[in-house]
Amino acid sequence: MKEVIMPKFGFTQEDSEIVEWAVKDGDKVEQGDVLAVVTTDKVTMEVEAPESGIVAGIQYKVGDVVLVTKVIAYILKPGETLPAELQAGASKAAAAPAPAVPAALPQAAAPVAANAVKLTPVASRVAAEKGLDTSSIVGSGPNGKITRADVEQFAQTVSNNGNGRIPATPAAKRLAREQSVELKQVPATGPNHRVQAADVLSFVEKNAATVAVPAVQGLAPVQSGTIRTIPFSGMRKTIALNMARSAQTIPAIQLEIDVDMEAMLALHQKAKTRAGEKKVSLTALIVNIVAWALVRNPMLNSQLGETEISLLPDVNIGMAVAIEGGLIVPVIHNADKKGILELAGEINDVSARARQNKLKGNDLDGATFTISNLGMFGIDRFTAIINPPQVGILAISGLKKQFVPDASGAPVLHSLMNMRLSADHRVVDGVVAAQFLADLRRGFESPEEMLL
Amino acid sequence: MRELTYAEALREAMRMAMEKDPTVFVIGEDIGVYGGAFGVTAGLFDQFGADRIIDTPISEAGIAGACVGAAVTGMHPIGEIQFSDFVVLSMEQLTLQAAKMRFMFGGKATVPLVMRLAGGSGTGAAAQHSESLEALFMNTPGLKVVMPSSPQDAKGLLLASIYDNNPIIFIEHKLLYKTKGPVPEEWYTTPLGKSHVVREGKDLTIVATSMEVTRSQQAADELAKEGIELEIIDPCTLRPLDLDPIVNSVKKTGKLLIVHEAVKMGGFGGEVAAEIAESEAFAYLDAPIRRLAGLDMPIPYNRNLEYHAVPQVENIVEEARKLVKGAY
Amino acid sequence: MVQEKTEKLIGGVFTKDKSLQLIDTMLLVRSFEENAEEMYALGKIHGTMHLSIGQEGVAVGTASALLPKHDYLLNTHRGHGHFLAWGGDLNRMMAEFMGREAGYCRGRGGSMHIADVESNNLGAQGIVAGNLPISVGVGLSIKARKSDQIVLCIFGDGASNEGAFHESLNMASIWNLPVIYLCENNFYGMSMAIKKSTKIQHISERAAAYGMPGVTVDGNDVLAVYEAMKTAAEYTRSGKGPYLVEAETYRWKGHSKSDKQAYRTRDEVKEWMAKDPIARFAKVVGLNEEGLEQHKLMAREKIKQAVEFASASPEPDVKDILDGVYA
Repeated sequence: MKEVIMPKFGFTQEDSEIVEWAVKDGDKVEQGDVLAVVTTDKVTMEVEAPESGIVAGIQYKVGDVVLVTKVIAYILKPGETLPAELQAGASKAAAAPAPAVPAALPQAAAPVAANAVKLTPVASRVAAEKGLDTSSIVGSGPNGKITRADVEQFAQTVSNNGNGRIPATPAAKRLAREQSVELKQVPATGPNHRVQAADVLSFVEKNAATVAVPAVQGLAPVQSGTIRTIPFSGMRKTIALNMARSAQTIPAIQLEIDVDMEAMLALHQKAKTRAGEKKVSLTALIVNIVAWALVRNPMLNSQLGETEISLLPDVNIGMAVAIEGGLIVPVIHNADKKGILELAGEINDVSARARQNKLKGNDLDGATFTISNLGMFGIDRFTAIINPPQVGILAISGLKKQFVPDASGAPVLHSLMNMRLSADHRVVDGVVAAQFLADLRRGFESPEEMLL
Repeated sequence: MRELTYAEALREAMRMAMEKDPTVFVIGEDIGVYGGAFGVTAGLFDQFGADRIIDTPISEAGIAGACVGAAVTGMHPIGEIQFSDFVVLSMEQLTLQAAKMRFMFGGKATVPLVMRLAGGSGTGAAAQHSESLEALFMNTPGLKVVMPSSPQDAKGLLLASIYDNNPIIFIEHKLLYKTKGPVPEEWYTTPLGKSHVVREGKDLTIVATSMEVTRSQQAADELAKEGIELEIIDPCTLRPLDLDPIVNSVKKTGKLLIVHEAVKMGGFGGEVAAEIAESEAFAYLDAPIRRLAGLDMPIPYNRNLEYHAVPQVENIVEEARKLVKGAY
Repeated sequence: MVQEKTEKLIGGVFTKDKSLQLIDTMLLVRSFEENAEEMYALGKIHGTMHLSIGQEGVAVGTASALLPKHDYLLNTHRGHGHFLAWGGDLNRMMAEFMGREAGYCRGRGGSMHIADVESNNLGAQGIVAGNLPISVGVGLSIKARKSDQIVLCIFGDGASNEGAFHESLNMASIWNLPVIYLCENNFYGMSMAIKKSTKIQHISERAAAYGMPGVTVDGNDVLAVYEAMKTAAEYTRSGKGPYLVEAETYRWKGHSKSDKQAYRTRDEVKEWMAKDPIARFAKVVGLNEEGLEQHKLMAREKIKQAVEFASASPEPDVKDILDGVYA
């Protein structure tokens, strides 16, 4: 009779988890045959039969964590029988106490916090190794536990979509776009981890519940008039969820400049004269200069991914437009490649269509940076909330006449405009943000610099 | 409303047209005293005589050519091809002459012929007498392709076809000839180029032709017991195809199943699937588009094999259920 | 008023004026074909064409025996001659050749599909024997309307081997349809000599298989063609049924533009050129070479004008590309 012990593979290794038994009691094996697959936090190993014979007295089951050098099974010679006290179950006491397990595991690099309880330890380790975001994996284990197999299959799906595209039905993609939901966050129940429409909808509903939206119960009991209610659904709700999510997850910094707009106003006059009957708003000029500054400061025109920051080549500027019931952000694509008059035309068209509710999918897609303008309300300065996956948003306030010193120090009355940038500090450092604003100021105050 | 069989409905359409219009006549094999292989023209010979119910030798090219020549010189011929399978002997006249004359002649010829074909499987007639050949004509501009699925549609679509100024391939199904249904007594036309939503439902859109419409209805009845609601659309005219009702339906249900007896490859189903994928319904699809079609084989003689060679009610039930439950 | 001098009829059939007209028509056909060949060589006409140079006698002899535009014409791919003899408008024909909007088929048909349905010209035919089954339908239509029209259905020796030939002649015969089946036997399909393609040497023999009269005539003898067609027309117009006329003739040029003619000898071609229908009829009419030359020039001038008309004619608008597919 030969003992099969839990081998020690690593210097500091204290225990191993049994992942799989390749044999069962009574099986005939040759020396060297694989009896079991075990794993530690670092590595998966096979336990081989030390001798030829018949397997007996397997002591542990899949999932058990066993201290190294403990006996896990026996190999009997033909004719031998196992003593009763060595039958399975007798050595349960030798199993490592549960608390030792989590300590041996490294922290997962990816945000698995929400699913930590739902992953088996092995699954967690494999996911961490592969740098996977497990939040959208649906587990096939008991009570929805995510097993190693689930993680590996998910990894395969992700790698099959070379550029990280998530398999989703057309309906799911449309709903995700409409609800401003990132597909990769949605737990997928479709075949091959495909996101179905229902998945998007239930994700939205579920997150509606978790986002801190106060319920109306406990309202002040006495109101002299009738309470008017506005439905909290549709666009209003979508915007609310996005804002909440953004505010909760993005560490944003704000930097602001008060820009001297004299040169810009003169340029605006010229542009209006040139355009004749066509309207040229100040917005067109603003978009033009912001686009120019973004080209020079690509960090502000990027997106944060799992493992990399993507510097996007297209500068697509979203312009927040107020409409009935809320806010919509039509996009001016490739704003850096368009002249002021062309921008003006496009802005006019898209704003008009936004107000008439005639925007098409393409109008709302693909923004890489957003401008929010409350200037027309006489706002002095404000902070806008970043629209993920963008990393920046520029809040533009109204023109204010202020006294500023001229070259000789004498006070002159100029029109100034406050521009406050909110930037995702995970991607945009203070200096980078400052550089962007410095360029912006130059563009507005000395537009001829843009040509140099 | 009184009920007629599909065959009676067709006969009534032809009779009414011939009574009203001396330029209408029927030409084909064994349609006179014999009354047609499937009895569709029974009694017409007695009423109209040999000049208007013209029995021909076994000459499908001749029959088709006769229809072309008569049509282009002011008549409204109705040709009958005894088994749709034989239409391939008429292909030259139908696709090279009838379909193209108007265009080739600068829009100056009109070829108002109807070619009635008896198609479909289920009668044990085996490989050369059981085909569904609509796909042969779908690829030919200049032709229209019509497939009535009920007695009411048979009469209305045939009357519409006789007076449509284009050459029309009118494909009937042998198993439908004896089926009964309500048929209005008056002269009415069912417009060509219009798809019918024959059943409403929220869970799955089925597009079916000819005999498969009946089978889909039966499948829908069964699935309704499980709470699954099928929406069934009968295109009626395959070319030109009225896509809008199908697009709207898929936008509603998110799922599409196309059912036809003809073989899957190169069939009508692929055409509908591609059209939907190119349409705005694409963004509303929540599952792959599926097709149920005849197996990739000639129709076998053995009854059981013949049964399993084309989509039957239980196949539709199973496929619909799988689609609705997210198996794909 | 009694005519002082009884005019001697050419061949006992045509007045001198009429005869000269026939010659003019033949010359027009020949000039048209020669010009078409030239224009093709110059790249002004694309696609292909099937020239009937050498077969003018059949076209003219036939048309003069029938009632063009009253009777129906089902033409072949080698049908320019028949079209012109039938009274086709030269300008519109040329425009069609050049693919112009003003052409008979608005430029959509080309040489092989020229038709003028309003004149009962139901088109040239791109499919060999394709017009034979159609003749049955037209015949049925005539009978139904109890009209005195007849159908002239033209085809070649090659077409008589298509299955459709059999079906059509059979149906025409059982229903006594008013169709003249005119076989222009020029002894070759494309490259296959009739000697090799057909066991019998006279297509007219096939008429017996369908119980209809069949005759063979010298297609290059205008008067003979006329006589034969006259007889056939009387027969069919009287309701006795179809009639098969085989006119033996020869095409001087290859089957189409891309034919290298490896299948026949230059000697054979020369032999037939000596039987030129135009020269022969000119002789009968008493037109000498000089006179013939003059008439040739007049024909060429007409062609020239037609080319000018067609060349100046606008192309079809791409916007209208789908016109005429469906009614």
